[in-house]
Amino acid sequence: MELYVLFGTFVFLLLIGTPVAFCLGVSSFATIAYLGLPPVVVFQRLNSGVSVFALMAIPFFIFAGDLMVRGDIARRLVALAGAFVGHLRGGLGQVNVLSSVMFGGVSGSAAADASAVGGLMVPQMKERGYDVDYAVNITVVSSIIALMLPPSHNMIIYSIAAGGRISIADLFTAGIVPGFLLALTLMIAAWWVAKRKGYPVQPFQGFRMIGTLFVSAAPGLVLVAIIFGGVRSGIFTASESSNIAVVYALLVTFFVYRSLSWNDFVEATLAAVRTTAMVLLVIGCAASFGWLLAYTKVPASMVALLQGVSDNPIIILLLLNVVLLLLGTFMDMSPLIVITTPIFLPVATAFGVDPVHFGVILILNLGIGLCTPPVGAVLFVGCAVGRIPVWDAVRSIWPFYGAAFGTLMLVTYIPALSLWLPSLFH
Amino acid sequence: MKNTMKSVVLVTGLLARAALWVAGVGLVAMTALIAAQVFWRYILNDSIIWTEPASVMIMGWFIFLGAAVGIREGYHLSFDVMLYLVPERVKLILYSISDTAVAGFGIGMIWFGWQLAAKTAANKLPGLGISGAFDFAPLVAGGILVVLFSIERVARRAAGLPTARFGEDAVEQ
Amino acid sequence: AAASCEITLRSSDTHPDGYPTVAAVNAMGEMLKERSDGRLCIEVFHSAQLGEEKDTIEQTQFGVIDMNRVSLGPFNNIIEETQVPSLPYIFRSVGHMNKVMDGPVGQQILDAFSDHDLVGLAFYDGGSRSFYNSEKPIASIDDLAGMKFRVMQSDMFVDMVSALGANATPMPYGEVYSSIQTGVIDGAENNWPSYDSSGHFEVAKYYTLDQHLIVPEVLVMAKSSFDKLSVEDQALVRQAARDSVPVMRDLWIAREQTSEARVREAGVEIITDIDKTPFIEAMVPVYEKYVTSTVLQQMVADIQATN
Ligand code: NA
Ligand code: NA
Repeated sequence: MELYVLFGTFVFLLLIGTPVAFCLGVSSFATIAYLGLPPVVVFQRLNSGVSVFALMAIPFFIFAGDLMVRGDIARRLVALAGAFVGHLRGGLGQVNVLSSVMFGGVSGSAAADASAVGGLMVPQMKERGYDVDYAVNITVVSSIIALMLPPSHNMIIYSIAAGGRISIADLFTAGIVPGFLLALTLMIAAWWVAKRKGYPVQPFQGFRMIGTLFVSAAPGLVLVAIIFGGVRSGIFTASESSNIAVVYALLVTFFVYRSLSWNDFVEATLAAVRTTAMVLLVIGCAASFGWLLAYTKVPASMVALLQGVSDNPIIILLLLNVVLLLLGTFMDMSPLIVITTPIFLPVATAFGVDPVHFGVILILNLGIGLCTPPVGAVLFVGCAVGRIPVWDAVRSIWPFYGAAFGTLMLVTYIPALSLWLPSLFH
Repeated sequence: MKNTMKSVVLVTGLLARAALWVAGVGLVAMTALIAAQVFWRYILNDSIIWTEPASVMIMGWFIFLGAAVGIREGYHLSFDVMLYLVPERVKLILYSISDTAVAGFGIGMIWFGWQLAAKTAANKLPGLGISGAFDFAPLVAGGILVVLFSIERVARRAAGLPTARFGEDAVEQ
Repeated sequence: AAASCEITLRSSDTHPDGYPTVAAVNAMGEMLKERSDGRLCIEVFHSAQLGEEKDTIEQTQFGVIDMNRVSLGPFNNIIEETQVPSLPYIFRSVGHMNKVMDGPVGQQILDAFSDHDLVGLAFYDGGSRSFYNSEKPIASIDDLAGMKFRVMQSDMFVDMVSALGANATPMPYGEVYSSIQTGVIDGAENNWPSYDSSGHFEVAKYYTLDQHLIVPEVLVMAKSSFDKLSVEDQALVRQAARDSVPVMRDLWIAREQTSEARVREAGVEIITDIDKTPFIEAMVPVYEKYVTSTVLQQMVADIQATN
């Protein structure tokens, strides 16, 4: 019965438009009251849920991303990507994907990536005769790459949701091959659609140009090296390297590029505060929700239920993927990571799935959910950047969904794609 | 009614701006503290033991203040799809129910945050040496603003003023 | 008489399923169930499902959960009596610690919980913590000079390491391995099972058995939950808790031996031949700082007088 109260209140509030964080918080509050337990625990979980040192990497990475967009680092990365792949069929589509690899590798936020890369690419693509929906589609789906490549704060959220016992460095490394695989399949999809529609080709700009743009974008690329090298080698923790990312982005934009004005700095700071407060409040409220799930033994019953359905790990993984995709269609990423990890991770490990591998599956899966209606933050951002209705984007997006889903299947059933690279470091 | 509301909104607008700025200063302070910790640990080969608990506490402040402002500015993630199906008048009623629920949660943040602070007031926080009650101060302060801004939304709606929602452009004042 | 449970006591533990403390509370639950004809049961929420120790202590105080197995560390800033067994080098050996905790001093600490909405039920064994490092075999206090050790975030442990002439670096447990590996810190300190399970022995292969901390763990109950029980049931709970202690100690010793064997096999250098006197003498300022009241001074004297 208490589960009906918990999920009933949650769904009702969600449907009447209550912010997700408060749906989680208020439904936990209602359930505690129903159980006759002291409600103080809801607020204690909320407070402890946000008072975790490892969470600090999230505001820092978001802050660094905002500084890079406002301080010209993002634009230079896009220009470099253009020199590499702009001459291929559907060239600017390819540039869009590759930009996400480079910028997403720095920012780790799909929404930041979609707004940064989309804001730069969509107008250019329109101008060169590409359809807006094509531009938006590719901007939206390729921003999932940002979630897979280090540093991804979603990997940090997952590690914390799993009890803080999964190495963040391993998760970061595990996302790399799947991230590049996704980039590859999306570039193929972009090429295929471009060919069918007869989109224009740009001339190759030459190696000299690549060299020039490389030098101009180098500080941005160095940032990737610092973050990944620092965390992977174990010299820095994720929180420390995210902090270094902020300091470095400030130094580069203030002193090297001289591209960041005081106003830009203030705007970047306030934007980071808004995004972070939103994400972390969800995490805090989900801690209350998660406490109730544990208290009412939901994870254990979920394991039993799924074990009753099948004992074949392939089927179980497929079921988990379907459930996550469905949930991801309705809800946003960070709350879903925090809510589903304690439930599904025990199921997955009971069937012999490595927790690091499962993290990659989970994030790719929920990343696809960010791009799908009815609630897809990244889809909304993409449509806002392209100024087109959601429906116009979704009508023609299926080749890109197909590429992402195909990648998801490969990543799910070939554990080595995720686990091979981390194993090299052990 | 509408004019009174407009002057009230001016005050709450300033309050939100102030809270957002405090949160922004918090983010910058946190950046500086951790940067100092990194510098001390790796360059000076020494360690500062209070930067970590201090920055976790600052993080609490900017999350709860930023989250409260988010109610006013409408930047929290929400799910509006079902509401497209209902008439405008019903939608406004549902929005007000939702804001009331949020206000109720804000009251919980104040009330139970206070209880937690009272229970832990005599404890000393490791590394900082201050009372354990400080751990819950951001929760209480954020709660006060959550209640205030939620009530403001309901009142605005009653007065026929617009309220900001996720995915829409910000509503000025 | 397998009647269904009338009362299920929910107990929290941060350790994983199968860990000696979890197994002991489960064993206590079985005894309780049998002795109450199936009326009283215990359900253990292991692996920190309900939160970390600081959080679950508050939950127990508010009566949200009924029982809790926790370290004494998080109580140090709440209940002053719990600081005494947390003092460095206060116990000469694990045997000495067990004897003290089974005696009047232990009872005095258990009683102190009642002023904080808790009922102290029993003490469990937490082993003894010693220093390990990646640099050199430490045999005397001079060897510690200038070295960097990770400690838990606790003022007393930071002061302890400083008093020994080394640098204390509080950091999350999960970061210790790579920090030792990359030389950010020289070492850390822990008991045999954790030295083994964390894999720290792979990167820090000098283990000096100075046993600076021999801190028991404690099983507490929410006062509100305890008061709801009949006097007979309260007695049953107290007795079952006491009877779970030998179960826990046996499991703990077995686990320590397994870990020790595994670590020794990996070629770790174990330093046992040390004169602890200078270490103990260095603790005088620490004791002066933390043993402030006459109650605590008397407790320290009582412990030192226990043979
Ligand atoms: Na893109
Ligand atoms: Na979605």
